Amino acid sequence: MSIKLDSKTPSGPLEEKWSKHKFDMKLVNPANKRKHTLIVVGTGLAGASASATLAELGYKVKTFCIHESPRRAHSIAAQGGINAAKNYQNDGDSVYRLFYDTIKGGDFRAREGNVYRLAEISPNIIDQCVAQGVPFAREYGGALANRSFGGSQVSRTFYARGQTGQQLLIGAYQAMMRQVGLGTVELNYRREMLDLVVVDGQARGIIVRNLATGELESHSADAVILATGGYGNVFYFSTNAKMSNVTASWRAHKQGAAFGNPCFTQIHPTCIPYSGDHQSKLTLMSESLRNDGRCWVPKQKGDKRPPEQIPDEDRDYYLERVYPSFGNLAPRDVSSRQAKYRVDEGRGVGPSGVAVYLDFRDAINRVGKAGIEQRYDNLFDMYAKITGDDPYKVPMRIYPAVHYTMGGLWVDYNLMSTIPGLHVLGEANFSDHGANRLGASALMQGLADGYFVIPYTIGHYLAGTSIPKVDANHDAFKAAKAAAQARIDALFAVKGGKTVDDIHRQLGNIMWEKVGMARNKAGLQTAVGEIQKLREEFWQNVRVSGDANNLNPELEKAGRLADFLELGELMATDALERNESCGGHFREEFQTPDNEAQRDDENYCHVSAWEYTGDSSLKGKKSWQLHKESLTFERIKLATRSYK
Amino acid sequence: MKYITSAIGRKQLMAVTGLAWSLFVLSHMAANLLILFDAEAYNKYSHALISNPAIYLAEAGLLLTILAHIVNGIRLTIENRSARPQKYAMPTNGEKAARFQSKWMVYHGTLLAIFLVWHLLTFKFGTVYMVTYNGVEMRDLHRLVLEVFQDPMYVAGYLLCMVAVGFHLSHGFYSAFASLGLSHPRYMSLMNKFGYLYALIIAAGFISQPIYVYCIAVR
Amino acid sequence: MGGTNGKKLNLKLKVWRQKNSKDAGHFEEYDAKDISTDCSFLEMLDIVNNKLILEGKDPIAFDHDCREGICGSCGMTINGNPHGADRGTTACQLHMRRFNDGETIVIEPFRAKAFPVLKDLTVDRSAFDKIIQSGGFVSVNTGSAPDANAQLVPKEKADLAFHAATCIGCGACVAACANSSAMLFTSAKISHLGLLPQGEPERDRRVLKMMETMEEAGFGNCSNTGACSLACPKDIQFENIANLNAEFLRASIRSRD
Repeated sequence: MSIKLDSKTPSGPLEEKWSKHKFDMKLVNPANKRKHTLIVVGTGLAGASASATLAELGYKVKTFCIHESPRRAHSIAAQGGINAAKNYQNDGDSVYRLFYDTIKGGDFRAREGNVYRLAEISPNIIDQCVAQGVPFAREYGGALANRSFGGSQVSRTFYARGQTGQQLLIGAYQAMMRQVGLGTVELNYRREMLDLVVVDGQARGIIVRNLATGELESHSADAVILATGGYGNVFYFSTNAKMSNVTASWRAHKQGAAFGNPCFTQIHPTCIPYSGDHQSKLTLMSESLRNDGRCWVPKQKGDKRPPEQIPDEDRDYYLERVYPSFGNLAPRDVSSRQAKYRVDEGRGVGPSGVAVYLDFRDAINRVGKAGIEQRYDNLFDMYAKITGDDPYKVPMRIYPAVHYTMGGLWVDYNLMSTIPGLHVLGEANFSDHGANRLGASALMQGLADGYFVIPYTIGHYLAGTSIPKVDANHDAFKAAKAAAQARIDALFAVKGGKTVDDIHRQLGNIMWEKVGMARNKAGLQTAVGEIQKLREEFWQNVRVSGDANNLNPELEKAGRLADFLELGELMATDALERNESCGGHFREEFQTPDNEAQRDDENYCHVSAWEYTGDSSLKGKKSWQLHKESLTFERIKLATRSYK
Repeated sequence: MKYITSAIGRKQLMAVTGLAWSLFVLSHMAANLLILFDAEAYNKYSHALISNPAIYLAEAGLLLTILAHIVNGIRLTIENRSARPQKYAMPTNGEKAARFQSKWMVYHGTLLAIFLVWHLLTFKFGTVYMVTYNGVEMRDLHRLVLEVFQDPMYVAGYLLCMVAVGFHLSHGFYSAFASLGLSHPRYMSLMNKFGYLYALIIAAGFISQPIYVYCIAVR
Repeated sequence: MGGTNGKKLNLKLKVWRQKNSKDAGHFEEYDAKDISTDCSFLEMLDIVNNKLILEGKDPIAFDHDCREGICGSCGMTINGNPHGADRGTTACQLHMRRFNDGETIVIEPFRAKAFPVLKDLTVDRSAFDKIIQSGGFVSVNTGSAPDANAQLVPKEKADLAFHAATCIGCGACVAACANSSAMLFTSAKISHLGLLPQGEPERDRRVLKMMETMEEAGFGNCSNTGACSLACPKDIQFENIANLNAEFLRASIRSRD
């Protein structure tokens, strides 16, 4: 096997690449669009917006959603906002500045062409969403309001209180449901993709399990679009929803799709800290809170006074101290590491000592309690419900947690993976954020991919490719279905003594300790071995209750964990191979004297795309081959990222 | 006509018919307060009403509205019940419990329907006493009322039904305005309070009459 | 400091168990022992389930996903109240510190003809999607939008629209309603889109279509009890229903059908 990575980035000046490419791409004429069936897996921002737009164009779309309703996709939980280079605030923003901030924020590990396109499209997204009736925050004069997010010195983030993801998703969901009503989108809910079906080298369909009835189904199409989100749940504890998983991406990976930069994980600095073994997930407190909240820890180790009794002179506002120009709005990776350093120094707060304060005292004095309510009410409520503390009175206790995965299936400029016909959108692909994603850019990317990129590039693929007729009775479908069934049978057959969650927690622990916020060679090597052992244990000792022909959440979780147990190994392998620190990937061996990430542009200015080369058996040895797509920067000069 | 068979159409029919009867009971109650003052005035007023040919039109209108209200109410209740075939083991409670009079509309409503028949049988179609004022012969309804309200059981039953009127109105009056689309929170809350007041006035007005008769007038 | 003085509770659960949509279903009792008061309600169920699995029994099935009160997946009736006794709270945000040691907790699915039970506490709420697909949108194709600031929207209106749009579609309103009506859900969408200038062109059509679909889906009618709004974890206001009534009346009068 050999994968050839060709980014297919169009030639020409940065500003003209996308328009030129749009003109150069082949078109499918309207009458022919009706003849093409497309499968979209996932109904978050990327999947819903793609389904809606492709159906509007005239394609027959079959959309699959793992939830009981597309509106439950995890994009709904995004809080803070969405970036767009509108420059409505007249503060010097531009497409180029958004592009620059994103590349720099990603620590120069993303493709220039992709990121520029993203910035270029961003204003259209806002226009589209407003036209759909997304109720963004507004000023009294009726114009849209903005706020600031980490890693940027302009106000370009559009928001709907702390529920921006919800509002954008509902917009995309409604656009898609309109097409469902018109009969152009066939919506299949409670379906989990278990395999990608590749016929003659082209992605031609999927095998799904109907989660309500347990039935396995085959669906064929002319192309497959995955918009199945990120894989942060490999850490067990993350801010992801419980159902978020890597299964769709992973099965596609094992069918030949290369996995890009798997070790690039975003640890979000402001989450409610872990409080005990009963806990099932971590909850994010939006980065937008850092517009008004100040992070601090006591200057003295072991200062056990209640926070309100610690006077300013005994507080260390460490982000403001270390990064005077960005202060509390330093990017996520940087802020997370600073919190970790404080805790490592023994200056963490709260009963566990593994937390820092995020304090709104000064903001409340400045704009009043009502002003803060107006901005963050739902977040403060959420915090109070979970912790039992009132953040209007005592500072929030926060700590970093896994939040987003920049890595994902490798795609070219057209969002196509290394399997022809398999396109990957949103968080599921690796494309635009490099080694660290800036706040409020995930929503932007998901919607850019779905509304404005894939509708063009899929046409180019369909028009330029010979796609023979294949239906779900093809042998490849039968084989894939049989394999999916065998897998389910194998999970039930183990009948061991540990629950899926128990093993998942163990995996999470390995990942967090050794493949988390700070990594080193020895730790990563140990992690690989431990994950392999845990995988063995899983196949010998997992307990899956219930039966296959019914709603069975345990079976679902077991299947997903089996994939996480393989992915974890690849993440550690990738982190081990990347002998540099960049963005969210922090190798302790590679740091500057003041503990900042030290990149190695000479040897690592590339995307690591891993091809699966192990066998296809369930319990066999896993192995991968590394391919490199080197990143060339035509416009931007590589520089040390500084937020000081 | 799709509107009239639609869920909201029928809800608004409940509202309009209910409001019509709310106004009617107000005027009925107010006029009957005459009993507290003077038998002759009471009888003359009644005579003026029933001797006016327009009374047949008014009666027909009232009958039609109340029938529409009752039939529609029964149909809605049956449909609403069937929307939850399997009942809960426990009802909503605490801060999430709806106020009871709103949930029991159909029960006090049923009681009121029975009362209405009973009421008509007692008075409209009850014993006819005659009396003559200034040469005009008319029904002596005052005497009938005094007679009827001497039975403690009757008075008790009557009082119970008037309490039901109060409950029915305390939700119904406000609810009708909501059904017709009054949606501003300030006016809604005002209307809610006004609904309570309205219900209180009607119930108190009606209740005052048997009490007066039973406790004061006859002794 | 709250959230850290984790006391332990011993509880009795009376849980609705139903194999599938055809099964009649029944209550079963379970002990939940040593439950930390810092647990969320769903984490408490996780602990019970973990034990059931190891005992070789079928765990209690319930929908859940984000566990931060925004996806709308978790829907169960706790001691008679959808999402439990606390207002403005989803089941996943309800914490065990709200319960007392030794308490018995009755857990039922959301019950409505339009929400058939799939298994245990899991119900099918796709009827909500049907209501949305019949008109809960603005018909604007991708690419045809004018500049976002071309049309100014008064902040007060935008805020009201936003508040209505925060509905998470969990179905608590239906579950709490004595008539299993979906009027609060439907009205929230009518208000959200109707208050904005972008929703104006389809205002009449939207309300007529959505109400028609709501009725067909088997939801009951509204009798203005307001129980829906009290149960709503996002505090969607009852005034939306009144607004829906007005919109429907207006649309019916203007309709040419």
